[in-house]
Amino acid sequence: MATKIGVYFDQQNIGGGLDVQALADGVSKKWGDFAPVVKVYPVLANAEADIQADIEAQGLDGVLVCGCSPRYDWNLYQFPGIQVERVNLREQCVLAYKNPDGSAAPAGAAPELLVAMAQDYVNMGVVKLQKSTLPEGAAVEGVKRVLVLGGGWTGLHAALEVAKTGYEVVIVEKSATMGGHVQNIPTATPLSAPWTEPQESGLEAKIAQVKSNKLITIYTSSTIARLEGQPGEFTATIATAKGEEQVQVGAVVLSTGWTPLAGKYLEPMGYGKLPGVVTAGEFGKMLREGKMDAKRVAFVLDTTLAEEAAKAQAAAAAEAAAEEKPEAAAPAEGEAETPAFVKQDLESIKHLGYSNSVSGVAALRLANAVCDKFDGAQVFILYKDMVVQGLLERYYKHAQNRLGIMMTKADVTDIARSGDALKVSCANTLLGMDFDVEVDMVVLPTGIVPTTAKDAVVQFAYRQGPDFPDLDLFDGFTDSNYICFPYETRRTGVYAAGCVRQPMTMDACAEDAAGAALKAIQCIEAATRGVAVHPRSGDLSYPIFNFVRCTQCKRCTEECPFGALDDDEKGTPKPNPARCRRCGTCFGACPERVISFANYNIDQIGSMIREVVVPKDFQTEGPRILILACENDAYPALDMAAMRRKSWSPYARVIPVRCLGSVNAIWVSDAMSKGFDGVMLLGCKYGDDYQCHFVKGSEICNRRKENIAETLNRLGVQPERVEQLEVAIDEYDKVPDMIDGFVARIVDMGPNPFKGM
Amino acid sequence: MAQCTLKPDMEFVRELQAAGGETLKKCYQCATCSVACPISPANNPYPRKEMVWASWGLKDKLRTDIDLWLCHNCGNCADLCPRGARPADLMGAARNMVYKELTEPAVVGKWMSSPKGLPVLFAIPAVLWLVIWWIRAGFNGGQWFPRAADGRIVFGQIFYGDYTIDPIFMITFFGACFILYKGVRKLFGMFKPEGKLLVIGKTKPWYMHLYDVIVEEIITHKKFSECGADKSDRKIGHMAVFYSFVILAIVTAIVAGGHWVGKVIPWLKVETPMPLTYPIKVLANVGALALLYGLGSLTLRRRKLNPKYQASSFYDWYLLGIIWAVALSGVLSQVFRLMDAVKPAFCVYYLHLVFVWMLFAYLPWSKLGHFVYRTAALVYVRMYGRS
Repeated sequence: MATKIGVYFDQQNIGGGLDVQALADGVSKKWGDFAPVVKVYPVLANAEADIQADIEAQGLDGVLVCGCSPRYDWNLYQFPGIQVERVNLREQCVLAYKNPDGSAAPAGAAPELLVAMAQDYVNMGVVKLQKSTLPEGAAVEGVKRVLVLGGGWTGLHAALEVAKTGYEVVIVEKSATMGGHVQNIPTATPLSAPWTEPQESGLEAKIAQVKSNKLITIYTSSTIARLEGQPGEFTATIATAKGEEQVQVGAVVLSTGWTPLAGKYLEPMGYGKLPGVVTAGEFGKMLREGKMDAKRVAFVLDTTLAEEAAKAQAAAAAEAAAEEKPEAAAPAEGEAETPAFVKQDLESIKHLGYSNSVSGVAALRLANAVCDKFDGAQVFILYKDMVVQGLLERYYKHAQNRLGIMMTKADVTDIARSGDALKVSCANTLLGMDFDVEVDMVVLPTGIVPTTAKDAVVQFAYRQGPDFPDLDLFDGFTDSNYICFPYETRRTGVYAAGCVRQPMTMDACAEDAAGAALKAIQCIEAATRGVAVHPRSGDLSYPIFNFVRCTQCKRCTEECPFGALDDDEKGTPKPNPARCRRCGTCFGACPERVISFANYNIDQIGSMIREVVVPKDFQTEGPRILILACENDAYPALDMAAMRRKSWSPYARVIPVRCLGSVNAIWVSDAMSKGFDGVMLLGCKYGDDYQCHFVKGSEICNRRKENIAETLNRLGVQPERVEQLEVAIDEYDKVPDMIDGFVARIVDMGPNPFKGM
Repeated sequence: MAQCTLKPDMEFVRELQAAGGETLKKCYQCATCSVACPISPANNPYPRKEMVWASWGLKDKLRTDIDLWLCHNCGNCADLCPRGARPADLMGAARNMVYKELTEPAVVGKWMSSPKGLPVLFAIPAVLWLVIWWIRAGFNGGQWFPRAADGRIVFGQIFYGDYTIDPIFMITFFGACFILYKGVRKLFGMFKPEGKLLVIGKTKPWYMHLYDVIVEEIITHKKFSECGADKSDRKIGHMAVFYSFVILAIVTAIVAGGHWVGKVIPWLKVETPMPLTYPIKVLANVGALALLYGLGSLTLRRRKLNPKYQASSFYDWYLLGIIWAVALSGVLSQVFRLMDAVKPAFCVYYLHLVFVWMLFAYLPWSKLGHFVYRTAALVYVRMYGRS
């Protein structure tokens, strides 16, 4: 808790006709000894030395800077060991101000409402500091060893990347040999400039390099039986042929790769029925073993035949299921306690489509190999969409130039036997006609099914189960929730790379491996320092539990989007700070309010809410609206709106929160009892296509809102006074209208019945 | 309905590449070329489809494609092609393949397709005219470089019109005409789509369409203008060469006519060599100058082509080269004759005859064949309502 603070006003960043000196005098008067230093500077950025002097002279332990948004000048005002808080008077107060009737503020002295707003924000800032302490962090020892799951192309690269930094590596490979699917590839796609010629993969050399590296330990024919603990101090139990073995690791790179899509999905295209129809994977193997002697080959990348058949089959199955609806199997009483984990098989025809960009490159690679082998070879590539990613575009162009390779967009309508040959029928082609081609072999794409679609490969000993959550969103791929953070998984400290994450070519796998390896190291370093690794990188704070009041309701352990909390038999949560991402969803969930962060807690936000002056007369002085805004997207959107001279109702007061998931129902009650007429929860879009930094925050908040509505109903307050609105960071043009619309709805509703009580 | 089964011919692709279409495989079918072409029809445009047929080695499709001849090779498509696939060159290469294979004897087409065949092509007339020179030298008392009684140089002493030049060129000319006629018949057969073609509305006989083509397109070089104003040097150059050919044809007709008709009606007789001020001679020299100007301008244009967009094949250089050779040897033989340099005059005149013979005798297999085949195609499309 800050005990003595200095309040500094940055006049150049306030403006709006506000009497800054009067504001400062107000602070001195109201807060007295708690704020012994209150100063106004024309340009505060020049006064950092003055502030430092005040800190030393007065023994201040907190500094409140009133000026622009904390999103600007963020590199200024950093004093070691001192808490610094910012009051956003520029963007969200002065620039966003407009009169209640929508007109702009008159030139000259600030209108009364603007002054009141500025006072509210300054006082909220003071209280925020008052209720905040410097976080200390929960550092762990930090084992400098990375577990690499899977010894294929990606795993080998990841291991070498990690070892290069001096960290130790443990590779666990399921099969008896290293190298994975690359062992079956005749030549690799280009891996380096000029990106036109296929190259040798160099797999043997890579394996030898890994084997000879002293920092790398290899377990073949082994799997992970259990992973427990937290980043920096995981314990991995490895099931080897000789029995179980335990290894301490700091982080995990998940590079378990893929398995080929089951042949049954390709049957509608002749696979398994017509001799000469093979998958790309099998074709590569045949080439490698010298068993390929077809001079005319068709690569059929248009898999509509298989997809349509699968669709028809699914429809038939759904119909059949609808007809004989079984009695809902009632869960046997007593067994519901701990249902055994059953892995849902997520393999489906969709994987064929997802693999398209890799299948296209594979077809080019194999087509080139056929032309290398036979001078008069005729290779047809029949595609629906030719997708070639990145610099491999050059490889594609190169293949186009090759005599003997003929490509066209085509709807492949039939694959059938015709004498000794196979006949592929094509429609809607670039040649402007429908035609058949006669070939000796037909090569179908190999569908890439991530191993995580079939198995819980990591076997987390976590309260939320052994598997990654919500894998079905990505059809089993352990893909990241964030487009900008590709290796993230929903389990802190485990970073996915290669085809387990997305179907990708070998060059991309190698790059991915390097990225995931660096993330793993970053994670261990962060755990060692006790700071969050992502997305609040460097945040020292972590959830602290006051177990005395805990009722073991398990809401926090169930709702944590990252499975950071384990529990004991009774249900008492067991925090794992290094797994935590500091979103505060746990304390938003807690009905007993036993969870807090040093610098972010229930009481702090509650006190800020109570610090707002809410006028009694709704008619003449207007309503008051509380906006709890997600600081990741909604808050920047508000700043941007203000910077672009958009304004919103002067009755709104914005308090940033770490995530809407951290909004505790008590804050709404606080606001209602204080006399606020409405509470607006401004956060990210949720649902499958969400953009929440903490994945589930806004979704959880929406669920909780229903409980809040119930409570409000009981109290006789219209539940419509609390509304959750979705905004994306770039929707600055929409957010002022959202606020004004909400304020208008509240004005129509009339005053909060609790006002003035 | 049974679909056609494609039979790609990789050898054909190789030949096309050798005939000037070496970049054809680069095409990725964006159809920028078809959009860029100012004269391609909207409903079935070229040259995109030709590019994919070429890439897939669909020989029959490409050979029977009338659009090859509607293209006037302005190069707009090649300038805009994002892949440097040079569609204009492919169209040219495909035409070259037609020159090569359309008419018999096919061996001439083969000789004509690369510089390797050039010595044979040259040797045939060279030997022919040398034999005639040798025989005629015998008539002139063993003199290879004789002078007339008045001391003038008269080429007719050696290359006597009545028994040598005229019959040989008559045979050559009518032979070429016959071969071209056969070629056009074959071409029309290839253009004809499968099944029956019904033309609705008024029809005109083919010669009326030919008249229209000549009056509306060839005389005015209309398509050249439609190809784009920025290519005007090409139009002027081509027009100069074209009209010089017309002029020289008229001169030749007058001289030949004057010679043979003069034997019957003496006052119509035209004596050669003609004095420099004689109107026919003036016309001939104007034609020669126009030819030199046109050739110079077309040659410069080809030299200036950016090989990234358009290149010149052997067929292009052969045609320019042989016309240059004809023009220069023609002009020089006159110059040497007037300079009274008897040996160079006869030697150059001999070469002139060799080159002229090459120009006409090999016409059906050379790029010059376009003046017949393209005209035929233009007539054909008009006959079937396309223009």
